[in-house]
Amino acid sequence: MAVELEGRLAEVVDHGADTRSLFLRLPVDLDFRPGQFISCQLPVGGKTLIRPYSIASSPEESRRLEILLNLVPGGPGSHYLFGLPLGATVRLTGPWGSFFLERAPEAETVFLADGTGIAPIRPMLRRALATATGHPVRLVAAAASPQRVLYRAELEALAQAHPPFRWEYVPSGALADEVSRRYVERDADRSRRFFICGVGTIVPTLRDLLRRAGYERRAVQYEKW
Amino acid sequence: MAKLRVQFESGEPERVIEFDPARAPFQHDGRPGSILDVLLAHGIHLEHACGGNCACTTCHVVVKKGMEHLSGSEDAEEDLLDKAPGLTPTSRLGCQAVIEDPDAEIVVWIPKYTINQISGHGG
Repeated sequence: MAVELEGRLAEVVDHGADTRSLFLRLPVDLDFRPGQFISCQLPVGGKTLIRPYSIASSPEESRRLEILLNLVPGGPGSHYLFGLPLGATVRLTGPWGSFFLERAPEAETVFLADGTGIAPIRPMLRRALATATGHPVRLVAAAASPQRVLYRAELEALAQAHPPFRWEYVPSGALADEVSRRYVERDADRSRRFFICGVGTIVPTLRDLLRRAGYERRAVQYEKW
Repeated sequence: MAKLRVQFESGEPERVIEFDPARAPFQHDGRPGSILDVLLAHGIHLEHACGGNCACTTCHVVVKKGMEHLSGSEDAEEDLLDKAPGLTPTSRLGCQAVIEDPDAEIVVWIPKYTINQISGHGG
Protein backbone atom coordinates (compact mmCIF):
# COMPACT_ATOMS: atom_id res chain seq x y z
CA MET A 1 0.00 0.00 0.00
CA ALA A 2 1.28 3.40 -0.90
CA VAL A 3 1.63 6.09 1.74
CA GLU A 4 1.85 9.87 1.73
CA LEU A 5 4.94 11.32 3.35
CA GLU A 6 7.08 14.41 3.65
CA GLY A 7 10.76 13.88 2.92
CA ARG A 8 13.41 16.32 4.02
CA LEU A 9 16.30 17.06 1.68
CA ALA A 10 19.30 15.77 3.64
CA GLU A 11 22.07 15.66 1.05
CA VAL A 12 22.84 16.54 -2.55
CA VAL A 13 25.45 14.79 -4.67
CA ASP A 14 26.29 16.13 -8.12
CA HIS A 15 27.30 13.54 -10.71
CA GLY A 16 27.98 16.20 -13.33
CA ALA A 17 26.76 19.63 -14.37
CA ASP A 18 23.18 18.54 -14.90
CA THR A 19 22.79 15.21 -13.08
CA ARG A 20 22.21 15.07 -9.37
CA SER A 21 21.25 12.71 -6.57
CA LEU A 22 18.91 14.00 -3.90
CA PHE A 23 18.78 12.17 -0.58
CA LEU A 24 15.47 12.50 1.22
CA ARG A 25 15.19 11.70 4.91
CA LEU A 26 11.81 10.11 5.67
CA PRO A 27 10.02 10.14 9.03
CA VAL A 28 9.10 6.44 8.74
CA ASP A 29 10.27 3.38 6.84
CA LEU A 30 9.05 3.16 3.26
CA ASP A 31 8.29 -0.43 2.33
CA PHE A 32 9.19 -0.65 -1.35
CA ARG A 33 10.50 -3.19 -3.83
CA PRO A 34 13.75 -2.58 -5.73
CA GLY A 35 12.84 -0.71 -8.92
CA GLN A 36 9.75 1.12 -7.70
CA PHE A 37 9.28 4.87 -7.76
CA ILE A 38 7.93 7.69 -5.65
CA SER A 39 5.58 10.36 -6.90
CA CYS A 40 6.59 13.87 -5.85
CA GLN A 41 4.02 16.62 -5.52
CA LEU A 42 5.85 19.82 -6.33
CA PRO A 43 4.36 23.29 -5.74
CA VAL A 44 5.36 25.17 -8.88
CA GLY A 45 3.70 28.29 -10.26
CA GLY A 46 0.58 27.95 -8.12
CA LYS A 47 -0.03 24.39 -9.28
CA THR A 48 0.93 21.00 -7.95
CA LEU A 49 3.11 19.16 -10.43
CA ILE A 50 3.23 15.39 -10.11
CA ARG A 51 6.64 13.99 -10.97
CA PRO A 52 7.68 10.35 -10.63
CA TYR A 53 11.24 9.49 -9.61
CA SER A 54 12.67 6.01 -9.37
CA ILE A 55 14.19 5.14 -6.05
CA ALA A 56 17.92 4.72 -6.66
CA SER A 57 18.62 3.44 -3.14
CA SER A 58 17.80 0.03 -1.69
CA PRO A 59 14.90 -0.91 0.61
CA GLU A 60 17.46 -1.67 3.34
CA GLU A 61 18.10 2.10 3.59
CA SER A 62 14.40 2.83 3.62
CA ARG A 63 14.43 6.07 5.63
CA ARG A 64 17.09 7.60 3.42
CA LEU A 65 15.76 7.64 -0.07
CA GLU A 66 17.90 8.54 -3.06
CA ILE A 67 16.46 9.87 -6.29
CA LEU A 68 18.51 10.65 -9.36
CA LEU A 69 17.55 13.30 -11.82
CA ASN A 70 18.67 15.29 -14.81
CA LEU A 71 18.10 19.01 -15.04
CA VAL A 72 15.67 19.08 -17.95
CA PRO A 73 15.94 22.26 -20.05
CA GLY A 74 12.65 24.11 -19.53
CA GLY A 75 11.45 21.38 -17.16
CA PRO A 76 9.69 23.05 -14.20
CA GLY A 77 9.81 19.95 -11.97
CA SER A 78 13.55 19.35 -12.25
CA HIS A 79 14.33 23.07 -11.95
CA TYR A 80 12.29 23.20 -8.75
CA LEU A 81 14.13 20.20 -7.29
CA PHE A 82 17.56 21.47 -8.36
CA GLY A 83 16.78 24.75 -6.59
CA LEU A 84 15.79 23.20 -3.25
CA PRO A 85 18.00 24.06 -0.26
CA LEU A 86 19.08 21.43 2.24
CA GLY A 87 16.38 20.93 4.85
CA ALA A 88 13.53 21.70 2.46
CA THR A 89 10.60 19.31 2.46
CA VAL A 90 9.23 17.36 -0.49
CA ARG A 91 5.73 15.92 -0.35
CA LEU A 92 5.58 12.49 -1.92
CA THR A 93 3.49 9.35 -2.27
CA GLY A 94 4.66 5.85 -2.90
CA PRO A 95 5.90 3.34 -3.51
CA TRP A 96 4.43 2.87 -6.97
CA GLY A 97 5.15 0.88 -10.06
CA SER A 98 5.31 -2.65 -11.36
CA PHE A 99 8.87 -2.49 -12.67
CA PHE A 100 10.68 -4.24 -9.85
CA LEU A 101 12.80 -7.23 -8.96
CA GLU A 102 12.36 -8.96 -5.63
CA ARG A 103 14.51 -12.02 -6.24
CA ALA A 104 17.06 -12.98 -8.85
CA PRO A 105 15.37 -14.83 -11.72
CA GLU A 106 16.27 -18.47 -12.37
CA ALA A 107 17.95 -17.42 -15.60
CA GLU A 108 20.65 -15.12 -16.87
CA THR A 109 19.59 -11.60 -15.96
CA VAL A 110 20.51 -8.66 -18.15
CA PHE A 111 20.04 -5.07 -17.06
CA LEU A 112 20.10 -2.43 -19.76
CA ALA A 113 20.45 1.09 -18.41
CA ASP A 114 20.72 4.24 -20.49
CA GLY A 115 22.05 7.28 -18.59
CA THR A 116 19.99 8.02 -15.48
CA GLY A 117 17.96 4.92 -16.32
CA ILE A 118 20.37 3.21 -13.98
CA ALA A 119 18.39 4.65 -11.02
CA PRO A 120 15.85 1.82 -10.60
CA ILE A 121 18.33 -0.74 -11.97
CA ARG A 122 20.80 -0.08 -9.15
CA PRO A 123 18.64 -1.48 -6.30
CA MET A 124 17.40 -4.25 -8.61
CA LEU A 125 20.97 -5.24 -9.39
CA ARG A 126 21.94 -5.23 -5.72
CA ARG A 127 18.93 -7.42 -4.93
CA ALA A 128 19.69 -9.76 -7.83
CA LEU A 129 23.22 -10.23 -6.51
CA ALA A 130 22.06 -10.66 -2.91
CA THR A 131 19.67 -13.43 -3.99
CA ALA A 132 21.88 -14.83 -6.76
CA THR A 133 20.93 -18.18 -8.20
CA GLY A 134 24.26 -18.91 -9.84
CA HIS A 135 23.11 -17.64 -13.20
CA PRO A 136 25.07 -14.80 -14.79
CA VAL A 137 24.03 -11.24 -14.02
CA ARG A 138 24.95 -8.61 -16.60
CA LEU A 139 24.64 -4.87 -16.83
CA VAL A 140 25.06 -2.90 -20.01
CA ALA A 141 25.41 0.73 -18.95
CA ALA A 142 25.06 3.24 -21.74
CA ALA A 143 26.35 6.77 -21.29
CA ALA A 144 27.90 9.62 -23.26
CA SER A 145 31.37 8.44 -22.20
CA PRO A 146 32.86 5.78 -19.89
CA GLN A 147 33.49 8.46 -17.23
CA ARG A 148 29.81 9.38 -17.24
CA VAL A 149 28.59 5.93 -16.21
CA LEU A 150 26.79 6.62 -12.95
CA TYR A 151 27.82 4.65 -9.82
CA ARG A 152 30.86 3.42 -11.69
CA ALA A 153 33.00 2.74 -8.58
CA GLU A 154 30.14 0.84 -7.00
CA LEU A 155 29.68 -1.27 -10.14
CA GLU A 156 33.36 -2.13 -10.15
CA ALA A 157 33.22 -3.14 -6.49
CA LEU A 158 30.13 -5.28 -7.09
CA ALA A 159 31.84 -7.04 -9.99
CA GLN A 160 34.83 -7.81 -7.76
CA ALA A 161 32.66 -9.14 -4.95
CA HIS A 162 30.21 -11.14 -7.10
CA PRO A 163 31.81 -13.32 -9.77
CA PRO A 164 28.51 -13.96 -11.64
CA PHE A 165 28.26 -10.22 -12.24
CA ARG A 166 29.90 -8.34 -15.09
CA TRP A 167 29.14 -4.92 -16.44
CA GLU A 168 30.15 -3.09 -19.56
CA TYR A 169 29.95 0.44 -20.83
CA VAL A 170 28.62 1.18 -24.29
CA PRO A 171 28.14 4.59 -25.92
CA SER A 172 24.48 5.64 -25.69
CA GLY A 173 24.04 5.85 -29.43
CA ALA A 174 25.30 2.28 -29.86
CA LEU A 175 23.12 0.61 -27.24
CA ALA A 176 20.58 -0.97 -29.60
CA ASP A 177 23.30 -2.32 -31.91
CA GLU A 178 25.28 -3.71 -28.99
CA VAL A 179 22.21 -5.40 -27.51
CA SER A 180 21.41 -6.93 -30.87
CA ARG A 181 24.97 -8.17 -31.29
CA ARG A 182 25.25 -9.67 -27.79
CA TYR A 183 21.79 -11.01 -27.14
CA VAL A 184 20.23 -11.65 -30.54
CA GLU A 185 22.93 -12.49 -33.08
CA ARG A 186 25.55 -14.18 -30.90
CA ASP A 187 23.50 -17.23 -29.85
CA ALA A 188 20.06 -18.81 -29.94
CA ASP A 189 19.59 -18.68 -26.16
CA ARG A 190 16.26 -16.98 -25.49
CA SER A 191 15.99 -17.82 -21.80
CA ARG A 192 17.47 -14.52 -20.56
CA ARG A 193 15.49 -12.03 -18.51
CA PHE A 194 15.83 -8.34 -19.34
CA PHE A 195 15.21 -5.23 -17.29
CA ILE A 196 15.47 -2.03 -19.30
CA CYS A 197 15.31 1.59 -18.21
CA GLY A 198 16.07 4.87 -19.89
CA VAL A 199 14.64 8.06 -21.29
CA GLY A 200 12.74 8.20 -24.56
CA THR A 201 12.47 5.95 -27.58
CA ILE A 202 15.51 3.80 -26.84
CA VAL A 203 13.40 1.85 -24.35
CA PRO A 204 10.63 0.69 -26.73
CA THR A 205 13.31 0.17 -29.39
CA LEU A 206 15.12 -2.32 -27.13
CA ARG A 207 11.85 -3.92 -26.01
CA ASP A 208 10.75 -4.53 -29.60
CA LEU A 209 14.20 -5.69 -30.70
CA LEU A 210 14.29 -8.38 -28.00
CA ARG A 211 10.69 -9.51 -28.26
CA ARG A 212 10.86 -9.78 -32.04
CA ALA A 213 14.02 -11.84 -31.67
CA GLY A 214 12.08 -14.46 -29.73
CA TYR A 215 12.32 -13.48 -26.09
CA GLU A 216 9.04 -13.94 -24.23
CA ARG A 217 7.04 -10.77 -23.75
CA ARG A 218 7.19 -11.05 -19.96
CA ALA A 219 10.90 -11.78 -20.02
CA VAL A 220 11.44 -8.22 -21.24
CA GLN A 221 10.48 -5.80 -18.49
CA TYR A 222 11.04 -2.10 -18.92
CA GLU A 223 10.38 1.37 -17.65
CA LYS A 224 10.36 4.27 -20.03
CA TRP A 225 10.64 7.88 -18.86
CA MET B 1 -20.29 17.63 -27.57
CA ALA B 2 -18.84 14.35 -26.33
CA LYS B 3 -20.42 12.79 -23.29
CA LEU B 4 -18.52 10.94 -20.57
CA ARG B 5 -20.57 9.13 -17.96
CA VAL B 6 -18.55 8.25 -14.87
CA GLN B 7 -19.63 5.50 -12.51
CA PHE B 8 -17.92 4.63 -9.26
CA GLU B 9 -17.58 1.25 -7.62
CA SER B 10 -17.47 3.14 -4.32
CA GLY B 11 -21.16 4.00 -4.71
CA GLU B 12 -20.55 7.71 -5.27
CA PRO B 13 -23.26 9.21 -7.48
CA GLU B 14 -22.72 8.98 -11.22
CA ARG B 15 -21.34 12.05 -12.94
CA VAL B 16 -22.03 13.08 -16.51
CA ILE B 17 -19.52 15.33 -18.25
CA GLU B 18 -20.12 17.01 -21.58
CA PHE B 19 -17.12 18.47 -23.31
CA ASP B 20 -15.67 19.44 -26.67
CA PRO B 21 -12.69 17.13 -27.48
CA ALA B 22 -11.28 19.79 -29.83
CA ARG B 23 -10.54 22.00 -26.80
CA ALA B 24 -8.10 19.53 -25.22
CA PRO B 25 -5.87 19.64 -23.23
CA PHE B 26 -8.08 20.61 -20.32
CA GLN B 27 -5.28 20.52 -17.73
CA HIS B 28 -1.66 19.34 -17.63
CA ASP B 29 -1.55 15.60 -16.86
CA GLY B 30 -2.11 12.66 -19.19
CA ARG B 31 -2.47 12.71 -22.95
CA PRO B 32 -4.50 15.74 -24.09
CA GLY B 33 -8.17 14.75 -24.26
CA SER B 34 -7.61 11.52 -22.33
CA ILE B 35 -10.08 10.25 -19.77
CA LEU B 36 -7.66 11.41 -17.06
CA ASP B 37 -7.41 14.88 -18.62
CA VAL B 38 -11.20 15.23 -18.78
CA LEU B 39 -11.85 13.88 -15.28
CA LEU B 40 -9.25 16.05 -13.56
CA ALA B 41 -10.54 19.13 -15.37
CA HIS B 42 -14.02 18.39 -14.02
CA GLY B 43 -13.01 17.94 -10.41
CA ILE B 44 -12.94 14.14 -10.37
CA HIS B 45 -9.77 12.88 -8.75
CA LEU B 46 -8.19 9.94 -10.51
CA GLU B 47 -4.85 8.83 -9.07
CA HIS B 48 -1.94 9.22 -11.51
CA ALA B 49 1.24 8.62 -9.57
CA CYS B 50 3.50 8.78 -12.62
CA GLY B 51 2.06 12.13 -13.66
CA GLY B 52 -0.04 10.62 -16.45
CA ASN B 53 2.97 9.37 -18.42
CA CYS B 54 2.03 5.72 -18.95
CA ALA B 55 4.46 4.44 -16.34
CA CYS B 56 2.10 2.93 -13.75
CA THR B 57 -1.45 1.58 -13.44
CA THR B 58 -2.89 3.94 -10.85
CA CYS B 59 -5.36 5.51 -13.34
CA HIS B 60 -6.84 2.16 -14.39
CA VAL B 61 -10.50 2.47 -15.49
CA VAL B 62 -12.95 0.02 -17.01
CA VAL B 63 -14.74 1.18 -20.16
CA LYS B 64 -18.36 0.02 -20.01
CA LYS B 65 -19.45 1.62 -23.28
CA GLY B 66 -17.83 3.41 -26.18
CA MET B 67 -14.53 1.53 -26.37
CA GLU B 68 -14.60 2.10 -30.13
CA HIS B 69 -14.53 5.86 -29.62
CA LEU B 70 -11.22 5.77 -27.76
CA SER B 71 -7.73 5.96 -29.23
CA GLY B 72 -6.05 2.58 -29.57
CA SER B 73 -3.69 1.25 -26.94
CA GLU B 74 0.03 0.80 -27.49
CA ASP B 75 2.33 -1.94 -26.17
CA ALA B 76 3.44 0.16 -23.20
CA GLU B 77 -0.14 0.53 -21.99
CA GLU B 78 -0.93 -3.15 -22.55
CA ASP B 79 2.22 -4.23 -20.72
CA LEU B 80 1.26 -2.10 -17.73
CA LEU B 81 -2.37 -3.20 -17.75
CA ASP B 82 -1.17 -6.81 -17.53
CA LYS B 83 -0.09 -5.94 -14.00
CA ALA B 84 -3.17 -3.96 -12.98
CA PRO B 85 -5.33 -5.47 -10.27
CA GLY B 86 -8.86 -6.23 -11.47
CA LEU B 87 -7.93 -6.27 -15.15
CA THR B 88 -10.89 -6.69 -17.56
CA PRO B 89 -11.03 -7.00 -21.37
CA THR B 90 -12.12 -3.35 -21.54
CA SER B 91 -9.60 -1.96 -19.07
CA ARG B 92 -7.69 1.14 -20.10
CA LEU B 93 -5.27 3.53 -18.51
CA GLY B 94 -7.09 6.82 -18.05
CA CYS B 95 -3.98 8.78 -19.03
CA GLN B 96 -3.69 7.05 -22.42
CA ALA B 97 -7.27 6.56 -23.68
CA VAL B 98 -8.12 9.68 -25.67
CA ILE B 99 -11.67 10.65 -26.63
CA GLU B 100 -11.38 12.19 -30.09
CA ASP B 101 -14.89 11.82 -31.52
CA PRO B 102 -17.02 14.92 -30.75
CA ASP B 103 -20.16 12.72 -30.72
CA ALA B 104 -18.70 9.98 -28.53
CA GLU B 105 -20.70 8.60 -25.65
CA ILE B 106 -18.46 6.84 -23.21
CA VAL B 107 -19.24 5.15 -19.93
CA VAL B 108 -16.32 4.49 -17.58
CA TRP B 109 -16.32 2.67 -14.29
CA ILE B 110 -13.81 3.64 -11.65
CA PRO B 111 -12.78 0.69 -9.47
CA LYS B 112 -12.48 1.32 -5.73
CA TYR B 113 -8.76 0.58 -5.72
CA THR B 114 -8.19 3.21 -8.42
CA ILE B 115 -9.58 5.88 -6.11
CA ASN B 116 -8.14 4.76 -2.84
CA GLN B 117 -4.58 3.55 -3.15
CA ILE B 118 -2.93 5.60 -0.48
CA SER B 119 -3.08 4.31 3.06
CA GLY B 120 -4.91 6.73 5.33
CA HIS B 121 -7.11 8.18 2.57
CA GLY B 122 -10.36 7.15 4.23
CA GLY B 123 -10.84 3.43 4.30
